[in-house]
Amino acid sequence: MSDRPGSNTLTRDSVAAWLISFAASVRSVEPELTALDQQAGDGDFGANLATGMDGVRRALDALTAVPRSDGDGPAAPLAAAARVFLDDVGGTSGPLFGLLFQELADALYDASPALPATAALATGTAAGVAAIQRVGEADVGDKTMVDALVPAAKALAECPPTADPAAALHLAAVAAHRGALSTSGLRARRGRASYTGDHSRGVPDPGALAVALLFASANEEVTVLNRLPEH
Amino acid sequence: MPQYFRDSPESLVPDALAGFAAAHADLVAYHPDHGYLRARHPAPTRRVGLVSGGGSGHEPLHSGFLGMGMLDASCPGRIFASPHNRQIFEASRAVAGPGGVLHIVKNYTGDRINFGIAAERLHHEGIACARVLIDDDLATDSDDIAVGRRGTGATLLIEKILGAAADEGRGLDELAALGTELTGRARSLAVAAAAHTAPASGAPAFGLPEGVLEFGVGIHGERAEGTTPHAPLGKLVETMTDQLLAALPDGSRSRVLALCNGLGSITSLELYGIRHALAKALDTRDVALDRSLTGTFVSALDMRGFSLTLLASDAETLRLWDAPARTPAWPL
Repeated sequence: MSDRPGSNTLTRDSVAAWLISFAASVRSVEPELTALDQQAGDGDFGANLATGMDGVRRALDALTAVPRSDGDGPAAPLAAAARVFLDDVGGTSGPLFGLLFQELADALYDASPALPATAALATGTAAGVAAIQRVGEADVGDKTMVDALVPAAKALAECPPTADPAAALHLAAVAAHRGALSTSGLRARRGRASYTGDHSRGVPDPGALAVALLFASANEEVTVLNRLPEH
Repeated sequence: MPQYFRDSPESLVPDALAGFAAAHADLVAYHPDHGYLRARHPAPTRRVGLVSGGGSGHEPLHSGFLGMGMLDASCPGRIFASPHNRQIFEASRAVAGPGGVLHIVKNYTGDRINFGIAAERLHHEGIACARVLIDDDLATDSDDIAVGRRGTGATLLIEKILGAAADEGRGLDELAALGTELTGRARSLAVAAAAHTAPASGAPAFGLPEGVLEFGVGIHGERAEGTTPHAPLGKLVETMTDQLLAALPDGSRSRVLALCNGLGSITSLELYGIRHALAKALDTRDVALDRSLTGTFVSALDMRGFSLTLLASDAETLRLWDAPARTPAWPL
């Protein structure tokens, strides 16, 4: 087996770049996420997510300072992100992102010739959605991050296992984005926004938008980095 | 304006935790880095760790019931706010037995989510974890309330009974089933003559005209659906008793275990009067009062009010209730 990244693998660097790109996107849209959350929630989501991703960036710096070893694959940056979000992020939506990162990391640890990267992403996303739904008890239509995650998981599951992960993540991003926009027409039934009743109508759920942003951030980074030769 | 005795609103909880841990250093240990307390001397026969927690402001719940025969760890949040999942995760990891760890959770959205995240993390580490959800508050028993009944006074009774069962070496599934079954035959109802004082502002959380009681109030100052005139105590307790008995499962109303609980600033003098009125009301209705506890156990800061909890009892429940416990606040 070559350890050179091909078009159907993920590497530690490409996953780390994906997360760094997500951190930058979150920072740039934090005011919008906060404004949306203030209309329908308690207004702390954008700040919690941005602070969390700053922590992830620091954790990734520490990670890349560690010399590579055989076991140090694409799961490591996601495992680091999971730790930061679960241990250090406040509120409820933030730590729920931690569960998604944890399940994605687990699935990518198991990636092998028999379980190609795209199949692992599909498995990890599905397991992440399941964990988030067990904890948050939200279904599609409740105006939460689940409205973006479920279509993203479905899009990944429909890709052939050996498909290019960048292409698969692009399809997931499109599906998540569509799901996030669909939350505009919904009235919140779960989470903090449920207390504000009809005030939440007309406003997309910021957690669902952040999920779309996560998958969209993957596209470019994974594509570009996977085409760089190993040095 | 009433004022709390404290240095700042932020110092109330951490100062109390430090003081509590020092005052009861023989029984409990405080781990400030992870934000939980644990019992120093759990029964060696115990195979499953019992963990509870929730917002502060309900003292002596939960930390007052850490120790032999009751809880193994407690996770205090900020005032009326859920603990962080990390506190629960670390506490659970520390006290999990060979049979795993049982979470005793009052039914509030934040607590459910944070205990749920901790449970996912425990499963991820291969630690078995189950949950007992306490939802005993009759005032929130309505099809219109999607989140279900709140968890209140029954929490204490169930922590005691489950503690005794855990000391017998019972397994996780058996304890979880017992806790759920106990919750199904326990109901509570609370009334208040005055709201608690909000720690940040020093103002009452809500206003009540004189001579009016908030009937069905929550333990965080949640307003009740309605008020009632401040009737003579006997009459008030009879109304509450009738509603509570009617809510117990059919065929289980002949014997009860009762909690007469102060919500913060009611006097002990009044509470024993309430205990007396409850005994009379039960007697008139041919219900045996098998055991009772009277005092301030599940409070709402300094709310001026009380709650009654009735738990349908039987010989096995009483046997577990009578088992010895030694904690900072267990009175028997």
